[in-house]
Amino acid sequence: MHISIAMPSESSSDNDDQNPNAILSPNSDSMDLSLDAIENQLESISMTSQAETRSSNQQEEQLTIPNGLLNEESRSEVVDEFEEELSNSNTKAGLSSERQKKRRHLLVPVAAGMQAREGAVMVPPVWLMRRLTMIQFARLGTMEFRVLRSSGFPGNVTFNEDDASISWRKRKKHFFILSHSGKPIYARYGDEHKLAGFSATLQAIISFVENGGDRVKVVRAWETPTLEHLGKIAVIGWNDLQIRSLHVVFLVKGPIYLVCISCTEEPYESLRGQLELLYCQMILILTKSLNRCFEKNPKFDMTPLLGGTDAVFSSLIHSFGWNPATFLHAYTCLPLAYATRQTAGAILQDITDSGILFAILMCRHKVISLCGAQKASLHPDDMLLLSNFVMSSESFRTSESFSPICLPRYNPMAFLYAYVHYFDVDTYLILLTTSSDAFYHLKDCRIRIEDVLLESNVLSEVQRSMLDGGMHVEDLPIDPASRTGTMFSHPGQPRPATDSPDRIGDAFFGIGGPAGLWHFIYRSIYLDQYVSSEFSSPINSLRQKKRLFRAYQKLYASMHDKGIGPHKTQFRRDENYVLLCWVTEDFELYAAFDPLADKALAIKTCNRVCQWIKDVENENFLLGASPFSW
Amino acid sequence: MGLSSGSNASEAVKLCVFDLRRGQNEGQELDKILFFYPADLPFTTQLSVIGLSEGLITFTRIFSPEAACDVIEAEMHSHVFYEAEPDIWMVMVVEKNKESEAMWRIDALRRVLKEVHTLFVMFHGSIRELVDKEPTGGLVRTHLYYFIMDYLSDFFIGKKLHLPNFRDSLKERGTVQMLTVGREVAIDVQSLVRVIESCAENSKCYSLTMFQDLLVSTTLSPDDTVSLFTYAVLRLTPQALSSGVSSWSYLRKGSTACNTSAGAVMANSCPSVDQYYNSGDTSPVGNRSYPVVRPLQNDKWSKGKDGFLVTDIWGAEFGSSIPTSPTIWLKQTEERMYLCAYQLRSLTVILLIPVSSVLNGEQGIAMVKQQILENASLKMFKVEEKLSRGWGGENAYHVSGYRYLLVDGDRYVSRASPPGKVTTLTKDSLVALSNLREEVDSERIRANSDGLSHEKDLEICIRAKNNAWLIARLTRGKELYMVLEKANETLLYASDAVMKFSDRYCNGAFSLE
Repeated sequence: MHISIAMPSESSSDNDDQNPNAILSPNSDSMDLSLDAIENQLESISMTSQAETRSSNQQEEQLTIPNGLLNEESRSEVVDEFEEELSNSNTKAGLSSERQKKRRHLLVPVAAGMQAREGAVMVPPVWLMRRLTMIQFARLGTMEFRVLRSSGFPGNVTFNEDDASISWRKRKKHFFILSHSGKPIYARYGDEHKLAGFSATLQAIISFVENGGDRVKVVRAWETPTLEHLGKIAVIGWNDLQIRSLHVVFLVKGPIYLVCISCTEEPYESLRGQLELLYCQMILILTKSLNRCFEKNPKFDMTPLLGGTDAVFSSLIHSFGWNPATFLHAYTCLPLAYATRQTAGAILQDITDSGILFAILMCRHKVISLCGAQKASLHPDDMLLLSNFVMSSESFRTSESFSPICLPRYNPMAFLYAYVHYFDVDTYLILLTTSSDAFYHLKDCRIRIEDVLLESNVLSEVQRSMLDGGMHVEDLPIDPASRTGTMFSHPGQPRPATDSPDRIGDAFFGIGGPAGLWHFIYRSIYLDQYVSSEFSSPINSLRQKKRLFRAYQKLYASMHDKGIGPHKTQFRRDENYVLLCWVTEDFELYAAFDPLADKALAIKTCNRVCQWIKDVENENFLLGASPFSW
Repeated sequence: MGLSSGSNASEAVKLCVFDLRRGQNEGQELDKILFFYPADLPFTTQLSVIGLSEGLITFTRIFSPEAACDVIEAEMHSHVFYEAEPDIWMVMVVEKNKESEAMWRIDALRRVLKEVHTLFVMFHGSIRELVDKEPTGGLVRTHLYYFIMDYLSDFFIGKKLHLPNFRDSLKERGTVQMLTVGREVAIDVQSLVRVIESCAENSKCYSLTMFQDLLVSTTLSPDDTVSLFTYAVLRLTPQALSSGVSSWSYLRKGSTACNTSAGAVMANSCPSVDQYYNSGDTSPVGNRSYPVVRPLQNDKWSKGKDGFLVTDIWGAEFGSSIPTSPTIWLKQTEERMYLCAYQLRSLTVILLIPVSSVLNGEQGIAMVKQQILENASLKMFKVEEKLSRGWGGENAYHVSGYRYLLVDGDRYVSRASPPGKVTTLTKDSLVALSNLREEVDSERIRANSDGLSHEKDLEICIRAKNNAWLIARLTRGKELYMVLEKANETLLYASDAVMKFSDRYCNGAFSLE
């Protein structure tokens, strides 16, 4: 795989049409270190042929879920989410190839020369930062440079759509990022630049309300079809219209405006939370110091800075439809035997003593182990955004990488440096440091970690856990005390297959029928971690999974009512489920049952689930080992 | 005082009615505005409220052409939308403030808009008709101004407008409250209704019978029943007559009747109303005044010697001192009817006679009244006596330990714990219930738009932070909301309490366990 860096020159930030196809050869020995020379060089470098080939295969790519980015259920969710998009794939044939090329390369701004002081790094303005970045890369000389290539996520590839297209208007969930002057920065669907007028409208709404001394939060519309309307539908061809309600949610973050337009029936609190995450994802890439660019020049055009990061945003937006971490504000661990996780934790702990801020070992979106330097704590949202960033950027997979990133909940103003290395297709290590020249040190650390992980079979255990999955409701013990108290009889021994007859016998004896437990999510408040059961029958189809996800999301919002919440218990029965939620000081349990479930039995089952989780917590949670402030 | 809409009255609430078909050209935007409260707000402020509303109505239609903009939630204000008639919008802007208890449920506010519109249509016909009748807009503006201001006068406590907030979560505006009567009394009532409705000889009449503020019988459609019932509670029942203010809402208790003198109205309204015409060169109307009937004017109804309620709201026949009989529009039959109300102690009987069937106007009505006195007096006396004997007082529908609201959405009927009992609930419980209702409102609206309101089955039991149980049940078009503050901590106990209530008071409607 090629390793290269695409970096538009500073001036290109004002001119989107400039040739973005710049590749800086990493091994160029004759590199001139003067800024001007670098800029000249950047302008003269052209795109690699690989990118060309990729864009010609775009149609196929849209059908592919990239990168093993999401786990099985999430893959299906994504497919579900994109049903409507696939139907429109033909319309994408006439894309501007220039535009595609540009989209397919991600510029990762790298800051250098910044002094780390107690973990806080002050960042110079972005333009300076980018110049410094170039020098930094040049100095590193032999180090890998990279292009984060769009992984073929079909998020923002519908360039010929704009606000006049019916297909665009019919999309179920739009996300927009714009500047306070109304300049488009990101749009999930359509070409931002074609959406300039629409973007200005959004800006006008926000500033209109702001001028009245207020701040708009949400606009809601309900569909109320009348005979007159039905007549109109027949004329304009909206007869397949399925929209029931419309939420337009606004979030203002200094000079950055974020807007979500959704027909998904998700509550306001959830959509607002998603906009917060979207904003933080942007901060993760650029830091909050971008505010200063707007202070200097209100009409500052940010799109070049984010060029090629569409895949990162798209994959985050997809996770809003399948990843409970997006609303629970907790992370989840890969189920592993206690000893296995201890082994991984020990080596991470070892290396964090050598000036590393955080060491995180992950498998897809699940944590295997993580360690932080003393007093440093990592917010679950930062972990979500960081893993999303790493997983959605294909180039991280192809080589070890060193990239500046910002942890918005840790310090939104400063860049940290992330060393990322994939051990296999799913398992990767992230080492975070405040030092910009720690690449070789981190590389050494990684080698040490890799040796230990291989020696102690941790990586193969991880693979096996991936195959086995997590907790299955069918395994819920009738009497928790009678169980061994472990999901793993002992490390290295294969678990019984989930479909073995005795397990099914266990599962439905005493629970089955109307009291049937379908799914649960358990969130430990102190650990900031959650465990979610695998989807079991009858939650089989993509649609059912997504519906359950949304039901949990709604339940969470309802329980965490701002001002008077959180409530203690909630029982909710509708045509789809019985949902039970139980919030205590220690944990939150969300459980879904058959809609005909008996209340008393459902409560009993919840108690058993809690006991069961307690019995197997060693395998499902990362306990105690880390020196985090929680 | 009164209709004064000075900015000191309350800027926390704005209410406007505008017509999207008017004022299409630049510079003529003011023409859109049919009503604005407070009327003395600068036009620029009025225009900005309407501009934002119109902008967002257009904006949401980009994505959902059939969707009606429903609400704008901002940090400090909520803008509640109601499309009363095609392209005629009513928008209410309320300030949010936790300290002053300004916490709102959107549907409750929308029901205020809906109520004032329904009542307006009952007396004056549709807004569109009035707009079309006199395209300069003077006629409709004058009517709307007096009507809405008279309506709002009931919401004033002192100078402040008090709209239904979270404390009214166990109430449902736009529904009727019924008196439960035994079989024997029911037969008597039925026979009374037959006699009353036959007093106008061959014409098809309708009637509505009330005891205190509760409905006893009706032969009107549910829609028309709600409108007439609401009006009766506001202005006709013994409580409304005696205090000038209805007592059915504790919100209005203690508020004094607003002494609305015509002079005050003219002084406050006309300059601003007429400015629309004077400022634009499109209209030659100038200061032309329109004859306007103000059915919601306070203290205008009284009980005559013969037991019939009289008012001079509708003026008097030319050259006579006999007041003109009130008339209303029926939605169901699209017919104008004479309203003839008789009151005997707590009993109020309203007879509606088609205007078309009474050929000689007031004389004809007088004859019908005579007939009623002759044929029905005794029956009314007996019915009143029996109802009074069986009446359990204002706490008649209190169920010990429960604070509840029961709504039958099909018949627009509701029953709730008496207001005095609801006040014993803590603020936290009421806020939590209000939020729960907000959530259920969305589910209900969704079900309605799917045409599935009858299939929607929903049960929510929440144990709030303060340990109160909040319960919402939706089943086959019926709704039950409940707060149990002293219940045991288990979910099963709470469910059991709901079941017992359902079996005993709702014919088991919510007992499907």
